[in-house]
Amino acid sequence: MKYILLSGLCSIMAFSGNSQREIEYLEYDLDNGIHVILHEEHATPIVAVSVLYHVGSKNEQTDRTGFAHFFEHLLFEGSTNIERGEYSELVEENGGALNANTSQDRTFYYEILPSNQLELGIWLESERMLHANVDIKGIETQRKVVKEEKRQRVDNQPYASFITEMFSRMFKKHPYNWVPIGSMEHLDAAQEEDYVNFYRTFYVPSNATLSIAGDINIEETKAWIDKYFSSIPKGEAINLFRDVENLTAEEFVAKYKIDKSSFDLMNFNAQTDANAKELVKKYSAMEIDIPRPKKADEQLSGVVKDVVYDNIQLPALFMGYRFPDQTHPDFHALEMMNDVLSGGASSRINKNLVEKQQIAQFAFSFAYGLEDAGVGIFAAIAAQGKDLDSVQMAFDAQIDMIKNELISEAEFEKIRNQYENQFVSTNSTIAGIAESLADNHVYAGGAEKINTELSEYLAVTREDIQRVAKKYLTQDARIILHYLPMEENPDNK
Amino acid sequence: MKKYIIAIGLFVPTILFGQIDRSVRPEAAPAPTINIKDSKVFTTENGITVILSENHKIPRVSYNLVMGSDPMLEREKTGLADIAGTLVMSGTDNRTKDVLDSEIDNIGATLTADNNSIYMSSLTKHSNKGLTLMADVLMNANFPQGEVDRIITQNESNLTSTKSDPGSMASNAEAVANFPKGHPYGEIMTPKTLANIDRNSIVEYYKRMYSPKGSYLVVVGDITLEETKKMVETYFGKWTGQDPDKADWGTGKFNNGNRVLFVEKPGAVQSVVYVSFPMAITPSHPDYLKLKVLNNIMGAGGFASRLMQNLREDKAYTYGCYSRMNVTEDGSWLSAGGNFRNEVTDSAITQILLELDKIVDDYVTDKELDLAKSSMAGSFGRSLERPSTIARFALSIIRYDLPKDYYQTYLKQLEGITKQDLLDVAQKYWTGSNCNIVVVGNDEVVPTLGKFDTDGTIERLDAFGNEKIEKVPSDLTADEILANYLSAVIPNIQAKKSKKLAKKRTKFFETITSMEVVVEMTSPQIPFPITTKEVWVSPNINAQMTEGRGMTFSSSYSDGITGQQQAMGVGKSELSSEEIAAANKSIGIIPELNYATSGMKYEVVGIETFNKIECYVLKLDDGKSVLFEYFNRETFMKVGTMSIETQGEETQEATSTYSNYVEVEGIMFPSVINISTGQANLEGKVVSRTINGEIDLAPYKQ
Repeated sequence: MKYILLSGLCSIMAFSGNSQREIEYLEYDLDNGIHVILHEEHATPIVAVSVLYHVGSKNEQTDRTGFAHFFEHLLFEGSTNIERGEYSELVEENGGALNANTSQDRTFYYEILPSNQLELGIWLESERMLHANVDIKGIETQRKVVKEEKRQRVDNQPYASFITEMFSRMFKKHPYNWVPIGSMEHLDAAQEEDYVNFYRTFYVPSNATLSIAGDINIEETKAWIDKYFSSIPKGEAINLFRDVENLTAEEFVAKYKIDKSSFDLMNFNAQTDANAKELVKKYSAMEIDIPRPKKADEQLSGVVKDVVYDNIQLPALFMGYRFPDQTHPDFHALEMMNDVLSGGASSRINKNLVEKQQIAQFAFSFAYGLEDAGVGIFAAIAAQGKDLDSVQMAFDAQIDMIKNELISEAEFEKIRNQYENQFVSTNSTIAGIAESLADNHVYAGGAEKINTELSEYLAVTREDIQRVAKKYLTQDARIILHYLPMEENPDNK
Repeated sequence: MKKYIIAIGLFVPTILFGQIDRSVRPEAAPAPTINIKDSKVFTTENGITVILSENHKIPRVSYNLVMGSDPMLEREKTGLADIAGTLVMSGTDNRTKDVLDSEIDNIGATLTADNNSIYMSSLTKHSNKGLTLMADVLMNANFPQGEVDRIITQNESNLTSTKSDPGSMASNAEAVANFPKGHPYGEIMTPKTLANIDRNSIVEYYKRMYSPKGSYLVVVGDITLEETKKMVETYFGKWTGQDPDKADWGTGKFNNGNRVLFVEKPGAVQSVVYVSFPMAITPSHPDYLKLKVLNNIMGAGGFASRLMQNLREDKAYTYGCYSRMNVTEDGSWLSAGGNFRNEVTDSAITQILLELDKIVDDYVTDKELDLAKSSMAGSFGRSLERPSTIARFALSIIRYDLPKDYYQTYLKQLEGITKQDLLDVAQKYWTGSNCNIVVVGNDEVVPTLGKFDTDGTIERLDAFGNEKIEKVPSDLTADEILANYLSAVIPNIQAKKSKKLAKKRTKFFETITSMEVVVEMTSPQIPFPITTKEVWVSPNINAQMTEGRGMTFSSSYSDGITGQQQAMGVGKSELSSEEIAAANKSIGIIPELNYATSGMKYEVVGIETFNKIECYVLKLDDGKSVLFEYFNRETFMKVGTMSIETQGEETQEATSTYSNYVEVEGIMFPSVINISTGQANLEGKVVSRTINGEIDLAPYKQ
């Protein structure tokens, strides 16, 4: 009894000593399904306006991979009210900065603007959501850009295909089988209609989280959100709106049996024409079914060993383990385990494989957490003259050690310091806060996680780290990839 | 009206929205003010002015300590402050550099220092440890001799590469043009002043400069006034030092008319042009903000600015043309320019001067003014998220005696600036007719520059801004220099008559069929050692390879007729017939033996100083690149080369120095080879030089 109290005391002390400050925010849903999160702080006269769309490469069809990432590019092409190329210009001319990114699980857009330009930011994002230019001209421009990006970031980078190779072997059924950059053949093969359909399915209010942080006045911000976002039609009505704008009069009549001139686009949700009103009502009530894969339940059944020939000089080893998804209770412990192994210059893998044994040029590991599954990856480029089996033995020795022995108190302390630092850095900018809030809402069960997550990390014990190492670093079920220079491919000779 | 809406709202349960015209773009709200809390200021007994800017948003505190002395003349030791600044973090009486680095890492802190300041930032709870390390560097830096030597050598290499770096040469020329000799900004480090800097002078500088008296400590972040007082007392209370050096250096050298200063860069295909003048402005002056807006419109505002629109978009003279202002308490200047092709160098200068005249004569447009204001307001706003920005502001307010709310009202001040304000400051501080026009480039552009100089005399400067001494003509012909060199490097074969000597040499070289040289190189810019290998096999095979970390970075192979090369990230390509023809002109164990017959063009340039050695200079041209060879005037040993290779609109220069000659099989070869290029300085030691050994050519042909 006494013993339990003591250990409890320790963790309480740990919590009270941590550097977390409470991040306050307010959240609500619009009638059309957009989730809104607002964080007000006046330290700096800037605002971050972000929209997270819950669509990533895992929502793509098997013959249309790369679409989610492609849209990240396409949706800077302007809208009904924004000329091609003008989107970025408007932001920059008004003293702002903008960007976007895509993963397997999400597509994220944001602008950082002077706070007196908040309305502009809200308008820009609402334009992107309601009626972006998804047409053949933009598609063709962005195809070139995306191909160039793939050439630079994947094809011309030695070893860069390892994520693709690892995930395609780890997930045979789940769409994590492919990675966000996707297939250029698929992008080429796709017709304008495929792109339009993707937009109509995923770029809809019910799939979006609008997160705004910074120097805002809550009431004023809510009013603008109401003006620009609440006016975006609900359910299938958004696509009805898009059709009124994009279809010819004949096409529209053929599809809806009503003249498109009956619609008032400026007051779409309150049509005066009775038929138009009826149709808007009907389509508003039709929910858009957003296809989502089930969580990956497939596990590795044994050791998968393969060779990949690449345009490289030194062989490399990549080992993959199946981890649970990012919200699983074990995931924090796995991340901390990974930091013991590979967090910084003084971590175990670097100290042993690179510095002491000089068996690898570079060596590291990481814990890849996603919405539906996780993957643990160990990677090393062999030192000159070292073979991959000895690299694997060195990795395995580290894996055995972390499974069989508790990590030292000193290592534990350093890792916890690193976490705290990292956490404080992420939440030191309003853009970081807007992103964390949206992420936590969509993927971690609630925006509130932003205030509890560090405590969760600090609650992980040395014993937890050893336990998850034993549970997930399964030596009898893993993927082992040998990257070898192209010249050694027997098929080439 | 309101009632009516509510009534309808009752009938229609879906939320009702007012009419919205989305094509109407939102207007900006009034510019926001900034919530920077007033800082708290107190002075310690040992003379530190502490400025606290409390901000508990993040549990982090930063300490930036800036010394109180003004810059001082360095005279024969010019460069001392820079060198000392680089070395402050090299270790203390209590901690070696490695220990210091690892203790900082363990708490995830940042600790940096330069010639007059030191900065530490950490999570609040690691403040004690962080300040312990900061105070140790502040009071006990011990400048180990080994580190001093390393940094001095590194700077020697940097200075060698200055001669091939047009940007540095232009900055040097600009500095001496804008500021007189007796002003610290007019002083330029040269190999001669660097040679006068030793550990003693560095320690002395540190002791003088690093003093609490007159220093400012800016504390920003998660800490209260009481805690700050305690921390400062604990960690800096025992710190002592002398009174700060104070000086008023004046505002620079103002011209009456335009002045052209030219620095030659042999073989250049582009000129670097800076049109520059000093400005009598300090950071605390109310006109400074107006000048910033003006400069944003002129050439600091990116793509939309006038210089960019005119010289890039309209005339296509260049990829980029900018204007920069440097404004300090000790001297300020403007610099406008860029890189321009030789043939448009004078046209570019004409346009830059025209733009200066235009902005001094006429109002800017409303559109230009609005755009400049919004982009400046935007980047100002975003910069405020960085605690270092707040620290800088807090310091400026105290140091420059600015109004307490200067930064709070920055955006409003910016908003209030008018076209008239801009015209006023343009006329007060700027000029298109009293400029220093600095051109670094090929001699061939000089005839086009005379028209810009008010008195018609172009001043020629060397790489370090000194008056260029005309080349001393050579007392020997090119062939005589080469003959002396060959006698020096093949000392054992002598004959009175030249015919006999030639015969003896031919016989000797017939016995030599191959050579392989392996050089190990290190560079401060590259984190691992590099090995270069070069082989020659009689008569015409030449191959080279560069390796490091087990990877081959580049390789080339030529048998005199065909050849290939490959480089990491670039790929493999066949050598063109021109490239092979050029290479064949300098082939062999001693290429100079064959210049007379290989078709190499060569001529004597004169006598110049190279690395403090008086040398004969030969200019070689193989049709692909130009090479200058420097021969010691006393010994005739080759002490260095400078090569210029033209690739499209760019040129690439490399300066090599040769020393520590040793004899191998009767021939003298250098055993130390240093190379500096724009990107890196490499120090090389010859680890092996094998003559007539077994050579495996296969790896070079990959």
